[in-house]
Amino acid sequence: MINRYRASAGIMLAPAVTLIGVFVLLPMLLTVWLSVQDWSTQTPFSSASFIGLDNFREIFGPTSVGRDFKGALANTAIYTALSVILILPLSVVFGLMVYQRDVAGGTALRTVLFATYMVPMIAVALVWSKLYSPSEGPLNQMLGLIGIGPQPWLSSPRSALLSIVFLNVWQQVGYFTVLAIAGLTQIPGSLYEAAKLDGANRREQFRFITLPLLRRTLLFSAVIAIINAVQVFEPVALITQGGPVGSTNVLTYHIRRVGIERAQGGLGSAMAVMLMLSLIVVVCALFALVNRKDDE
Amino acid sequence: MTARGFSGSSSWLPRRRPSGRKALLATLMLLVAVASAFPLLWMVLSSLKTPAESMQVPPVWIPGTPSLDAYEKVSGVVNVGRSMWNSLVIASITTAGILLTSMMAGYAFAKYHFPAKSLLFSVLIATMFLPPIVTLIPLYRLVGSIGLNASLAGIIVPNLANAFGIFLMRQFIAGVPDDLIDAARMDGASELLILFKIVAPSVAPAIAALALFAFVYHWNSYLWPLTVLQGNADAYPIVISLSRLLSYNRGAVNTGLVMAGATLAVLPPLLLFVFLQRFFVDSIVGSAIKG
Repeated sequence: MINRYRASAGIMLAPAVTLIGVFVLLPMLLTVWLSVQDWSTQTPFSSASFIGLDNFREIFGPTSVGRDFKGALANTAIYTALSVILILPLSVVFGLMVYQRDVAGGTALRTVLFATYMVPMIAVALVWSKLYSPSEGPLNQMLGLIGIGPQPWLSSPRSALLSIVFLNVWQQVGYFTVLAIAGLTQIPGSLYEAAKLDGANRREQFRFITLPLLRRTLLFSAVIAIINAVQVFEPVALITQGGPVGSTNVLTYHIRRVGIERAQGGLGSAMAVMLMLSLIVVVCALFALVNRKDDE
Repeated sequence: MTARGFSGSSSWLPRRRPSGRKALLATLMLLVAVASAFPLLWMVLSSLKTPAESMQVPPVWIPGTPSLDAYEKVSGVVNVGRSMWNSLVIASITTAGILLTSMMAGYAFAKYHFPAKSLLFSVLIATMFLPPIVTLIPLYRLVGSIGLNASLAGIIVPNLANAFGIFLMRQFIAGVPDDLIDAARMDGASELLILFKIVAPSVAPAIAALALFAFVYHWNSYLWPLTVLQGNADAYPIVISLSRLLSYNRGAVNTGLVMAGATLAVLPPLLLFVFLQRFFVDSIVGSAIKG
Protein backbone atom coordinates (compact mmCIF):
# COMPACT_ATOMS: atom_id res chain seq x y z
CA MET A 1 0.00 0.00 0.00
CA ILE A 2 2.67 2.48 1.04
CA ASN A 3 4.62 2.00 -2.17
CA ARG A 4 1.54 2.51 -4.26
CA TYR A 5 0.93 5.90 -2.65
CA ARG A 6 4.56 6.82 -2.95
CA ALA A 7 4.18 6.42 -6.73
CA SER A 8 0.96 8.43 -6.60
CA ALA A 9 2.73 11.17 -4.67
CA GLY A 10 5.29 11.38 -7.44
CA ILE A 11 2.59 11.75 -10.08
CA MET A 12 0.66 14.32 -8.07
CA LEU A 13 3.76 16.40 -7.37
CA ALA A 14 5.44 16.14 -10.76
CA PRO A 15 3.63 18.97 -12.63
CA ALA A 16 3.93 21.59 -9.88
CA VAL A 17 7.46 20.64 -8.85
CA THR A 18 8.70 20.55 -12.44
CA LEU A 19 7.15 23.92 -13.32
CA ILE A 20 8.31 25.68 -10.15
CA GLY A 21 11.70 23.99 -10.43
CA VAL A 22 12.28 25.07 -14.03
CA PHE A 23 10.69 28.53 -13.94
CA VAL A 24 11.39 29.71 -10.39
CA LEU A 25 14.11 27.71 -8.61
CA LEU A 26 16.40 27.27 -11.61
CA PRO A 27 16.22 31.00 -12.56
CA MET A 28 16.90 31.85 -8.92
CA LEU A 29 20.06 29.75 -8.91
CA LEU A 30 21.00 31.20 -12.30
CA THR A 31 20.63 34.72 -10.88
CA VAL A 32 23.12 33.86 -8.13
CA TRP A 33 25.48 32.23 -10.64
CA LEU A 34 25.20 35.10 -13.15
CA SER A 35 25.96 37.64 -10.43
CA VAL A 36 29.61 36.51 -10.48
CA GLN A 37 29.80 36.31 -14.29
CA ASP A 38 30.43 38.77 -17.08
CA TRP A 39 27.37 38.09 -19.22
CA SER A 40 25.21 39.89 -21.76
CA THR A 41 21.51 39.04 -21.64
CA GLN A 42 21.49 38.84 -25.44
CA THR A 43 23.90 35.88 -25.47
CA PRO A 44 23.46 32.26 -24.30
CA PHE A 45 24.30 31.35 -20.69
CA SER A 46 27.33 29.45 -22.01
CA SER A 47 29.01 32.70 -23.06
CA ALA A 48 29.25 33.87 -19.44
CA SER A 49 32.75 34.18 -17.98
CA PHE A 50 33.61 34.14 -14.28
CA ILE A 51 34.77 37.48 -12.86
CA GLY A 52 34.47 36.90 -9.11
CA LEU A 53 32.91 39.76 -7.19
CA ASP A 54 33.58 42.46 -9.83
CA ASN A 55 29.87 43.02 -10.45
CA PHE A 56 29.31 43.64 -6.75
CA ARG A 57 32.32 45.97 -6.59
CA GLU A 58 30.91 47.90 -9.51
CA ILE A 59 27.36 48.28 -8.20
CA PHE A 60 28.72 49.56 -4.89
CA GLY A 61 31.50 51.55 -6.54
CA PRO A 62 31.94 55.29 -7.23
CA THR A 63 30.98 55.21 -10.94
CA SER A 64 27.53 56.03 -12.32
CA VAL A 65 26.61 52.31 -12.15
CA GLY A 66 27.26 52.38 -8.41
CA ARG A 67 25.54 55.72 -7.86
CA ASP A 68 22.41 54.61 -9.72
CA PHE A 69 22.20 51.28 -7.89
CA LYS A 70 22.79 52.76 -4.46
CA GLY A 71 20.18 55.40 -5.24
CA ALA A 72 17.69 52.72 -6.31
CA LEU A 73 18.43 50.68 -3.19
CA ALA A 74 17.87 53.73 -0.97
CA ASN A 75 14.69 54.73 -2.85
CA THR A 76 13.32 51.20 -2.51
CA ALA A 77 14.13 51.14 1.22
CA ILE A 78 12.39 54.48 1.76
CA TYR A 79 9.42 53.49 -0.39
CA THR A 80 9.06 50.16 1.41
CA ALA A 81 9.41 51.64 4.89
CA LEU A 82 6.88 54.39 4.19
CA SER A 83 4.42 51.91 2.66
CA VAL A 84 4.61 49.59 5.67
CA ILE A 85 4.45 52.46 8.18
CA LEU A 86 1.28 53.77 6.53
CA ILE A 87 -0.40 50.46 5.65
CA LEU A 88 -0.12 48.64 9.00
CA PRO A 89 -1.77 51.24 11.29
CA LEU A 90 -4.40 52.06 8.66
CA SER A 91 -5.23 48.36 8.24
CA VAL A 92 -5.83 48.02 11.99
CA VAL A 93 -7.99 51.17 12.17
CA PHE A 94 -10.00 50.18 9.09
CA GLY A 95 -10.20 46.59 10.34
CA LEU A 96 -11.73 47.81 13.61
CA MET A 97 -14.17 49.96 11.63
CA VAL A 98 -15.32 46.91 9.68
CA TYR A 99 -15.31 44.61 12.70
CA GLN A 100 -17.20 46.78 15.19
CA ARG A 101 -20.95 46.33 15.54
CA ASP A 102 -21.91 49.76 16.99
CA VAL A 103 -22.45 51.35 13.57
CA ALA A 104 -23.83 49.51 10.55
CA GLY A 105 -22.02 49.43 7.21
CA GLY A 106 -18.83 47.60 8.16
CA THR A 107 -19.19 44.97 5.47
CA ALA A 108 -19.95 47.59 2.81
CA LEU A 109 -16.81 49.46 3.87
CA ARG A 110 -14.79 46.25 3.55
CA THR A 111 -16.11 45.76 0.01
CA VAL A 112 -15.17 49.29 -1.05
CA LEU A 113 -11.70 49.04 0.54
CA PHE A 114 -10.92 45.63 -0.92
CA ALA A 115 -12.19 46.50 -4.40
CA THR A 116 -9.15 48.72 -5.03
CA TYR A 117 -6.93 45.65 -4.64
CA MET A 118 -8.53 44.20 -7.80
CA VAL A 119 -7.58 47.16 -9.97
CA PRO A 120 -4.58 46.58 -12.28
CA MET A 121 -1.61 48.66 -11.11
CA ILE A 122 -1.33 50.12 -14.62
CA ALA A 123 -4.83 51.58 -14.30
CA VAL A 124 -4.05 52.79 -10.77
CA ALA A 125 -0.95 54.57 -12.07
CA LEU A 126 -2.85 56.16 -14.97
CA VAL A 127 -5.73 57.38 -12.83
CA TRP A 128 -3.53 58.72 -10.06
CA SER A 129 -1.27 60.53 -12.52
CA LYS A 130 -4.41 62.47 -13.53
CA LEU A 131 -5.54 62.98 -9.92
CA TYR A 132 -2.07 64.41 -9.19
CA SER A 133 -2.07 66.64 -12.26
CA PRO A 134 -1.04 70.07 -10.85
CA SER A 135 -3.62 72.16 -12.72
CA GLU A 136 -6.31 69.82 -14.10
CA GLY A 137 -6.25 67.39 -11.17
CA PRO A 138 -8.87 67.29 -8.44
CA LEU A 139 -6.39 66.78 -5.56
CA ASN A 140 -4.87 70.25 -5.75
CA GLN A 141 -8.34 71.67 -6.30
CA MET A 142 -9.57 70.04 -3.08
CA LEU A 143 -6.46 71.14 -1.17
CA GLY A 144 -7.19 74.68 -2.39
CA LEU A 145 -10.63 74.51 -0.81
CA ILE A 146 -9.09 73.94 2.63
CA GLY A 147 -6.49 76.64 2.08
CA ILE A 148 -3.46 74.53 1.09
CA GLY A 149 -1.52 75.69 -1.97
CA PRO A 150 -0.95 73.51 -5.05
CA GLN A 151 1.49 70.62 -4.56
CA PRO A 152 3.90 69.45 -7.29
CA TRP A 153 3.24 65.74 -6.49
CA LEU A 154 4.94 63.58 -9.14
CA SER A 155 6.83 66.44 -10.78
CA SER A 156 9.13 67.33 -7.88
CA PRO A 157 12.03 65.15 -6.68
CA ARG A 158 10.98 65.98 -3.12
CA SER A 159 7.47 64.55 -3.40
CA ALA A 160 7.43 62.11 -6.33
CA LEU A 161 8.37 58.97 -4.36
CA LEU A 162 5.92 59.84 -1.59
CA SER A 163 3.19 60.35 -4.20
CA ILE A 164 3.80 56.82 -5.47
CA VAL A 165 3.70 55.53 -1.87
CA PHE A 166 0.24 57.11 -1.51
CA LEU A 167 -1.19 55.39 -4.57
CA ASN A 168 0.34 52.10 -3.42
CA VAL A 169 -1.25 52.48 0.02
CA TRP A 170 -4.58 53.33 -1.58
CA GLN A 171 -4.46 50.19 -3.71
CA GLN A 172 -3.22 47.76 -1.06
CA VAL A 173 -4.70 48.82 2.26
CA GLY A 174 -7.95 46.88 1.69
CA TYR A 175 -6.09 43.58 1.47
CA PHE A 176 -4.29 44.26 4.74
CA THR A 177 -7.55 45.39 6.32
CA VAL A 178 -8.98 41.93 5.61
CA LEU A 179 -5.87 40.36 7.18
CA ALA A 180 -6.36 42.58 10.24
CA ILE A 181 -10.01 41.52 10.47
CA ALA A 182 -8.87 37.89 10.35
CA GLY A 183 -6.59 38.64 13.30
CA LEU A 184 -9.33 40.46 15.22
CA THR A 185 -11.72 37.51 14.90
CA GLN A 186 -9.11 35.38 16.70
CA ILE A 187 -9.20 37.51 19.86
CA PRO A 188 -11.65 35.98 22.36
CA GLY A 189 -14.43 38.37 23.36
CA SER A 190 -14.14 37.13 26.95
CA LEU A 191 -10.82 38.97 27.29
CA TYR A 192 -12.58 42.28 26.71
CA GLU A 193 -15.34 41.35 29.16
CA ALA A 194 -12.78 40.52 31.83
CA ALA A 195 -10.88 43.74 31.14
CA LYS A 196 -14.09 45.75 31.45
CA LEU A 197 -14.83 44.13 34.81
CA ASP A 198 -11.36 45.17 35.90
CA GLY A 199 -12.22 48.73 34.92
CA ALA A 200 -10.10 49.00 31.76
CA ASN A 201 -11.24 51.76 29.43
CA ARG A 202 -11.36 51.41 25.65
CA ARG A 203 -7.92 52.84 25.17
CA GLU A 204 -6.44 50.41 27.70
CA GLN A 205 -8.31 47.50 26.15
CA PHE A 206 -6.82 48.38 22.78
CA ARG A 207 -3.32 48.78 24.16
CA PHE A 208 -3.21 45.72 26.41
CA ILE A 209 -5.46 43.26 24.55
CA THR A 210 -6.04 44.13 20.88
CA LEU A 211 -2.55 45.27 19.94
CA PRO A 212 -0.53 42.49 21.66
CA LEU A 213 -2.82 39.79 20.29
CA LEU A 214 -2.56 41.25 16.78
CA ARG A 215 1.23 41.00 16.84
CA ARG A 216 1.42 37.78 14.79
CA THR A 217 -1.05 39.15 12.24
CA LEU A 218 0.91 42.38 11.96
CA LEU A 219 4.16 40.47 11.47
CA PHE A 220 2.58 38.50 8.62
CA SER A 221 1.16 41.72 7.16
CA ALA A 222 4.51 43.48 7.42
CA VAL A 223 6.31 40.67 5.57
CA ILE A 224 3.72 40.64 2.77
CA ALA A 225 3.70 44.46 2.58
CA ILE A 226 7.49 44.51 2.24
CA ILE A 227 7.52 41.85 -0.48
CA ASN A 228 4.77 43.73 -2.34
CA ALA A 229 6.47 47.10 -1.94
CA VAL A 230 9.79 46.05 -3.51
CA GLN A 231 7.82 44.99 -6.59
CA VAL A 232 6.66 48.53 -7.40
CA PHE A 233 7.12 48.92 -11.13
CA GLU A 234 4.13 50.20 -13.12
CA PRO A 235 3.85 53.77 -11.79
CA VAL A 236 7.59 54.26 -12.29
CA ALA A 237 7.76 52.64 -15.73
CA LEU A 238 4.67 54.43 -16.95
CA ILE A 239 4.69 57.86 -15.32
CA THR A 240 8.06 58.92 -13.91
CA GLN A 241 10.66 56.69 -15.64
CA GLY A 242 12.64 56.86 -12.42
CA GLY A 243 12.67 60.66 -12.32
CA PRO A 244 12.57 63.50 -11.58
CA VAL A 245 16.36 63.38 -11.04
CA GLY A 246 16.34 59.71 -10.07
CA SER A 247 14.01 60.23 -7.11
CA THR A 248 11.68 57.37 -8.09
CA ASN A 249 14.29 55.01 -9.54
CA VAL A 250 13.37 51.87 -7.57
CA LEU A 251 15.03 48.45 -7.75
CA THR A 252 12.50 46.50 -9.81
CA TYR A 253 12.56 49.25 -12.44
CA HIS A 254 16.32 49.69 -12.28
CA ILE A 255 17.20 45.97 -12.41
CA ARG A 256 14.93 45.50 -15.43
CA ARG A 257 16.47 48.51 -17.17
CA VAL A 258 20.03 47.30 -16.56
CA GLY A 259 19.48 43.56 -17.01
CA ILE A 260 16.93 43.50 -19.86
CA GLU A 261 16.96 46.84 -21.70
CA ARG A 262 20.72 47.40 -21.47
CA ALA A 263 21.28 43.61 -21.53
CA GLN A 264 23.91 43.83 -18.74
CA GLY A 265 22.77 40.49 -17.32
CA GLY A 266 25.67 40.01 -14.89
CA LEU A 267 25.31 43.46 -13.33
CA GLY A 268 21.53 43.15 -13.15
CA SER A 269 21.82 39.73 -11.49
CA ALA A 270 24.23 41.10 -8.88
CA MET A 271 21.63 43.77 -8.08
CA ALA A 272 18.91 41.11 -7.87
CA VAL A 273 21.07 39.10 -5.45
CA MET A 274 21.51 42.19 -3.27
CA LEU A 275 17.74 42.70 -3.28
CA MET A 276 17.20 39.08 -2.24
CA LEU A 277 19.80 39.32 0.55
CA SER A 278 18.32 42.60 1.82
CA LEU A 279 14.87 41.01 1.97
CA ILE A 280 16.18 38.00 3.89
CA VAL A 281 17.93 40.24 6.41
CA VAL A 282 14.89 42.49 6.91
CA VAL A 283 12.43 39.60 7.26
CA CYS A 284 14.70 37.72 9.70
CA ALA A 285 15.12 40.90 11.75
CA LEU A 286 11.34 41.33 11.89
CA PHE A 287 10.85 37.77 13.08
CA ALA A 288 13.60 38.15 15.68
CA LEU A 289 12.02 41.35 16.94
CA VAL A 290 8.58 39.78 17.33
CA ASN A 291 9.95 36.60 18.92
CA ARG A 292 11.95 38.61 21.43
CA LYS A 293 8.79 40.44 22.44
CA ASP A 294 7.07 37.07 22.80
CA ASP A 295 9.68 36.02 25.34
CA GLU A 296 9.24 39.09 27.49
CA MET B 1 -19.67 34.55 15.30
CA THR B 2 -20.44 35.05 18.97
CA ALA B 3 -17.23 36.98 19.48
CA ARG B 4 -18.29 39.58 16.92
CA GLY B 5 -21.16 40.92 18.97
CA PHE B 6 -19.25 42.24 21.96
CA SER B 7 -19.63 45.92 22.51
CA GLY B 8 -16.05 46.77 23.36
CA SER B 9 -14.77 45.96 19.91
CA SER B 10 -14.36 49.55 18.73
CA SER B 11 -12.13 50.19 21.67
CA TRP B 12 -9.80 52.51 19.78
CA LEU B 13 -12.19 55.46 19.88
CA PRO B 14 -12.08 57.81 22.87
CA ARG B 15 -14.90 57.43 25.38
CA ARG B 16 -17.67 59.94 24.72
CA ARG B 17 -21.41 60.04 24.98
CA PRO B 18 -22.49 56.90 23.09
CA SER B 19 -24.47 58.79 20.43
CA GLY B 20 -21.65 61.27 19.76
CA ARG B 21 -19.16 58.43 19.46
CA LYS B 22 -21.38 56.62 17.00
CA ALA B 23 -21.86 59.72 14.88
CA LEU B 24 -18.10 60.30 14.81
CA LEU B 25 -17.46 56.67 13.88
CA ALA B 26 -20.10 56.74 11.13
CA THR B 27 -18.59 59.93 9.70
CA LEU B 28 -15.10 58.46 9.70
CA MET B 29 -16.31 55.29 8.01
CA LEU B 30 -18.07 57.32 5.33
CA LEU B 31 -14.93 59.41 4.75
CA VAL B 32 -12.78 56.29 4.36
CA ALA B 33 -15.26 54.74 1.92
CA VAL B 34 -15.44 57.93 -0.16
CA ALA B 35 -11.65 58.30 -0.25
CA SER B 36 -11.32 54.68 -1.30
CA ALA B 37 -13.94 54.86 -4.06
CA PHE B 38 -13.04 58.34 -5.33
CA PRO B 39 -10.20 57.49 -7.77
CA LEU B 40 -12.35 54.90 -9.53
CA LEU B 41 -15.34 57.26 -9.67
CA TRP B 42 -13.05 59.92 -11.10
CA MET B 43 -11.82 57.46 -13.71
CA VAL B 44 -15.34 56.62 -14.90
CA LEU B 45 -16.51 60.26 -14.83
CA SER B 46 -13.42 61.37 -16.77
CA SER B 47 -14.03 58.73 -19.42
CA LEU B 48 -17.41 60.36 -20.13
CA LYS B 49 -16.05 63.91 -20.52
CA THR B 50 -15.42 65.72 -23.79
CA PRO B 51 -11.75 66.50 -24.58
CA ALA B 52 -12.40 70.17 -23.77
CA GLU B 53 -13.86 69.30 -20.37
CA SER B 54 -10.86 67.09 -19.58
CA MET B 55 -8.49 70.03 -19.98
CA GLN B 56 -10.53 72.57 -18.05
CA VAL B 57 -8.91 74.34 -15.08
CA PRO B 58 -10.15 74.02 -12.37
CA PRO B 59 -11.30 70.50 -13.23
CA VAL B 60 -14.94 69.71 -13.97
CA TRP B 61 -16.22 66.87 -11.78
CA ILE B 62 -19.41 65.88 -13.54
CA PRO B 63 -19.38 65.84 -17.36
CA GLY B 64 -21.96 68.32 -18.75
CA THR B 65 -23.06 66.06 -21.58
CA PRO B 66 -21.81 62.54 -20.79
CA SER B 67 -20.67 60.87 -24.00
CA LEU B 68 -19.23 57.51 -24.92
CA ASP B 69 -17.05 59.04 -27.67
CA ALA B 70 -13.86 58.16 -25.83
CA TYR B 71 -14.83 54.48 -25.77
CA GLU B 72 -15.34 54.51 -29.54
CA LYS B 73 -12.10 56.38 -30.20
CA VAL B 74 -9.96 54.19 -27.96
CA SER B 75 -10.49 51.26 -30.32
CA GLY B 76 -9.03 53.32 -33.14
CA VAL B 77 -5.78 53.84 -31.22
CA VAL B 78 -5.10 50.40 -29.76
CA ASN B 79 -6.72 47.10 -30.62
CA VAL B 80 -9.00 46.86 -27.59
CA GLY B 81 -10.90 43.76 -28.71
CA ARG B 82 -7.75 41.81 -29.47
CA SER B 83 -6.08 42.91 -26.20
CA MET B 84 -9.09 41.99 -24.08
CA TRP B 85 -9.17 38.59 -25.79
CA ASN B 86 -5.44 38.11 -25.14
CA SER B 87 -5.93 38.99 -21.48
CA LEU B 88 -8.83 36.57 -21.26
CA VAL B 89 -6.75 33.77 -22.84
CA ILE B 90 -3.74 34.46 -20.61
CA ALA B 91 -5.76 34.70 -17.39
CA SER B 92 -8.04 31.71 -18.15
CA ILE B 93 -5.40 29.21 -19.23
CA THR B 94 -3.01 30.26 -16.46
CA THR B 95 -5.80 29.90 -13.91
CA ALA B 96 -6.79 26.46 -15.19
CA GLY B 97 -3.16 25.34 -14.97
CA ILE B 98 -2.70 26.72 -11.47
CA LEU B 99 -5.88 25.00 -10.28
CA LEU B 100 -4.78 21.64 -11.65
CA THR B 101 -1.17 21.74 -10.42
CA SER B 102 -2.15 23.20 -7.03
CA MET B 103 -4.88 20.65 -6.35
CA MET B 104 -2.60 17.75 -7.25
CA ALA B 105 0.37 18.97 -5.23
CA GLY B 106 -1.84 20.20 -2.39
CA TYR B 107 -3.43 16.73 -2.18
CA ALA B 108 -0.02 15.05 -2.10
CA PHE B 109 1.22 17.33 0.69
CA ALA B 110 -1.99 16.98 2.69
CA LYS B 111 -2.63 13.24 2.40
CA TYR B 112 0.55 11.35 1.46
CA HIS B 113 3.65 10.47 3.42
CA PHE B 114 6.86 10.47 1.43
CA PRO B 115 10.54 11.13 2.10
CA ALA B 116 11.68 14.76 2.51
CA LYS B 117 8.08 15.95 2.40
CA SER B 118 8.49 18.90 4.74
CA LEU B 119 11.78 19.93 3.12
CA LEU B 120 10.20 19.95 -0.33
CA PHE B 121 7.20 21.86 1.00
CA SER B 122 9.43 24.46 2.65
CA VAL B 123 11.45 24.99 -0.52
CA LEU B 124 8.29 25.43 -2.61
CA ILE B 125 6.67 27.77 -0.09
CA ALA B 126 9.83 29.88 0.11
CA THR B 127 9.33 30.80 -3.56
CA MET B 128 6.09 32.50 -2.53
CA PHE B 129 8.23 35.23 -0.95
CA LEU B 130 10.50 35.70 -3.94
CA PRO B 131 9.81 38.96 -5.82
CA PRO B 132 9.56 38.21 -9.57
CA ILE B 133 12.34 40.68 -10.41
CA VAL B 134 14.89 38.40 -8.72
CA THR B 135 14.41 35.75 -11.40
CA LEU B 136 13.40 38.01 -14.30
CA ILE B 137 16.72 38.22 -16.18
CA PRO B 138 17.58 34.48 -16.40
CA LEU B 139 13.89 33.59 -16.87
CA TYR B 140 13.71 35.93 -19.85
CA ARG B 141 16.73 34.19 -21.41
CA LEU B 142 15.46 30.73 -20.45
CA VAL B 143 12.02 31.25 -22.00
CA GLY B 144 13.71 32.68 -25.09
CA SER B 145 15.97 29.65 -25.40
CA ILE B 146 12.98 27.29 -25.49
CA GLY B 147 11.47 29.43 -28.25
CA LEU B 148 8.56 30.94 -26.33
CA ASN B 149 9.59 34.62 -26.49
CA ALA B 150 7.15 37.14 -27.97
CA SER B 151 4.19 34.77 -27.68
CA LEU B 152 1.20 34.21 -25.43
CA ALA B 153 2.68 30.82 -24.51
CA GLY B 154 5.74 32.63 -23.17
CA ILE B 155 3.51 34.60 -20.80
CA ILE B 156 1.47 31.59 -19.73
CA VAL B 157 3.80 28.58 -19.38
CA PRO B 158 6.13 29.85 -16.60
CA ASN B 159 3.07 30.69 -14.47
CA LEU B 160 1.17 27.40 -14.63
CA ALA B 161 2.12 26.49 -11.06
CA ASN B 162 2.70 28.61 -7.99
CA ALA B 163 3.45 28.17 -4.31
CA PHE B 164 0.47 30.15 -3.04
CA GLY B 165 -1.94 27.77 -4.79
CA ILE B 166 -0.21 24.69 -3.39
CA PHE B 167 -0.21 26.22 0.08
CA LEU B 168 -3.88 27.16 -0.06
CA MET B 169 -4.96 23.76 -1.41
CA ARG B 170 -2.90 21.84 1.16
CA GLN B 171 -4.48 23.89 3.99
CA PHE B 172 -8.00 23.11 2.87
CA ILE B 173 -7.50 19.52 1.66
CA ALA B 174 -5.93 18.65 5.03
CA GLY B 175 -9.40 19.27 6.49
CA VAL B 176 -11.05 16.62 4.29
CA PRO B 177 -11.66 13.50 6.46
CA ASP B 178 -9.31 10.57 5.70
CA ASP B 179 -12.26 8.18 6.08
CA LEU B 180 -13.87 9.68 3.00
CA ILE B 181 -10.74 9.06 0.94
CA ASP B 182 -10.14 5.56 2.36
CA ALA B 183 -13.72 4.53 1.59
CA ALA B 184 -13.24 5.53 -2.05
CA ARG B 185 -9.93 3.61 -2.16
CA MET B 186 -11.73 0.51 -0.87
CA ASP B 187 -14.11 0.89 -3.79
CA GLY B 188 -11.09 0.81 -6.08
CA ALA B 189 -11.17 4.44 -7.20
CA SER B 190 -7.90 5.77 -8.63
CA GLU B 191 -6.11 8.58 -6.81
CA LEU B 192 -6.86 11.12 -9.56
CA LEU B 193 -10.53 10.13 -9.52
CA ILE B 194 -10.61 10.55 -5.74
CA LEU B 195 -9.01 13.98 -6.06
CA PHE B 196 -11.52 15.23 -8.61
CA LYS B 197 -14.70 13.44 -7.47
CA ILE B 198 -14.31 13.33 -3.69
CA VAL B 199 -11.74 15.88 -2.54
CA ALA B 200 -12.40 18.73 -4.99
CA PRO B 201 -16.13 19.06 -4.22
CA SER B 202 -15.40 19.23 -0.48
CA VAL B 203 -13.01 22.15 -0.95
CA ALA B 204 -15.00 23.90 -3.70
CA PRO B 205 -15.03 27.34 -2.00
CA ALA B 206 -11.23 27.30 -1.69
CA ILE B 207 -10.92 26.28 -5.34
CA ALA B 208 -13.22 29.15 -6.33
CA ALA B 209 -11.12 31.54 -4.27
CA LEU B 210 -7.88 30.35 -5.84
CA ALA B 211 -9.42 30.61 -9.31
CA LEU B 212 -10.46 34.19 -8.69
CA PHE B 213 -7.11 35.17 -7.21
CA ALA B 214 -5.23 33.61 -10.08
CA PHE B 215 -7.49 35.11 -12.73
CA VAL B 216 -7.31 38.64 -11.35
CA TYR B 217 -3.56 38.42 -10.69
CA HIS B 218 -2.79 37.29 -14.22
CA TRP B 219 -5.29 39.67 -15.83
CA ASN B 220 -3.48 42.52 -14.05
CA SER B 221 0.08 41.26 -14.46
CA TYR B 222 2.36 43.67 -16.34
CA LEU B 223 6.08 43.16 -15.69
CA TRP B 224 6.43 39.66 -17.16
CA PRO B 225 4.25 40.14 -20.29
CA LEU B 226 6.03 43.43 -21.02
CA THR B 227 9.42 41.73 -20.75
CA VAL B 228 8.66 38.55 -22.66
CA LEU B 229 6.60 40.04 -25.52
CA GLN B 230 9.38 42.30 -26.84
CA GLY B 231 6.93 44.61 -28.57
CA ASN B 232 4.81 41.94 -30.31
CA ALA B 233 1.62 44.05 -30.35
CA ASP B 234 -0.56 41.16 -31.54
CA ALA B 235 -0.06 39.43 -28.21
CA TYR B 236 -0.49 42.49 -25.96
CA PRO B 237 -2.79 41.97 -23.00
CA ILE B 238 -5.06 44.92 -22.18
CA VAL B 239 -2.78 46.31 -19.45
CA ILE B 240 0.06 46.73 -21.96
CA SER B 241 -2.24 48.28 -24.57
CA LEU B 242 -3.35 50.65 -21.85
CA SER B 243 0.22 51.73 -21.20
CA ARG B 244 0.72 52.25 -24.96
CA LEU B 245 -2.33 54.49 -24.90
CA LEU B 246 -0.54 56.88 -22.58
CA SER B 247 2.57 57.15 -24.73
CA TYR B 248 0.40 57.75 -27.78
CA ASN B 249 -1.46 60.28 -25.72
CA ARG B 250 1.52 62.40 -24.72
CA GLY B 251 1.29 64.40 -27.94
CA ALA B 252 -2.39 65.21 -28.03
CA VAL B 253 -3.61 65.18 -24.48
CA ASN B 254 -6.92 63.38 -24.32
CA THR B 255 -7.47 62.22 -20.79
CA GLY B 256 -10.90 60.85 -21.65
CA LEU B 257 -9.39 58.31 -24.00
CA VAL B 258 -6.96 57.01 -21.38
CA MET B 259 -9.68 56.85 -18.75
CA ALA B 260 -11.99 54.94 -21.09
CA GLY B 261 -9.21 52.41 -21.69
CA ALA B 262 -8.54 52.15 -17.97
CA THR B 263 -12.24 51.61 -17.24
CA LEU B 264 -12.36 48.76 -19.76
CA ALA B 265 -9.27 47.11 -18.25
CA VAL B 266 -10.58 47.44 -14.69
CA LEU B 267 -14.06 46.16 -15.40
CA PRO B 268 -13.50 42.36 -15.66
CA PRO B 269 -11.53 41.90 -12.40
CA LEU B 270 -13.78 44.33 -10.56
CA LEU B 271 -16.98 42.63 -11.72
CA LEU B 272 -15.61 39.23 -10.74
CA PHE B 273 -14.82 40.63 -7.32
CA VAL B 274 -18.22 42.24 -6.82
CA PHE B 275 -20.04 38.98 -7.53
CA LEU B 276 -17.64 36.62 -5.80
CA GLN B 277 -16.00 38.65 -3.04
CA ARG B 278 -17.14 36.21 -0.35
CA PHE B 279 -14.63 33.64 -1.66
CA PHE B 280 -11.81 36.17 -1.86
CA VAL B 281 -12.28 37.31 1.70
CA ASP B 282 -12.82 33.84 3.15
CA SER B 283 -9.68 32.45 1.57
CA ILE B 284 -7.48 35.34 2.72
CA VAL B 285 -8.84 34.90 6.22
CA GLY B 286 -8.40 31.13 5.95
CA SER B 287 -4.84 31.27 4.67
CA ALA B 288 -3.82 33.86 7.26
CA ILE B 289 -5.26 32.01 10.22
CA LYS B 290 -4.24 28.52 9.25
CA GLY B 291 -0.81 29.70 8.14
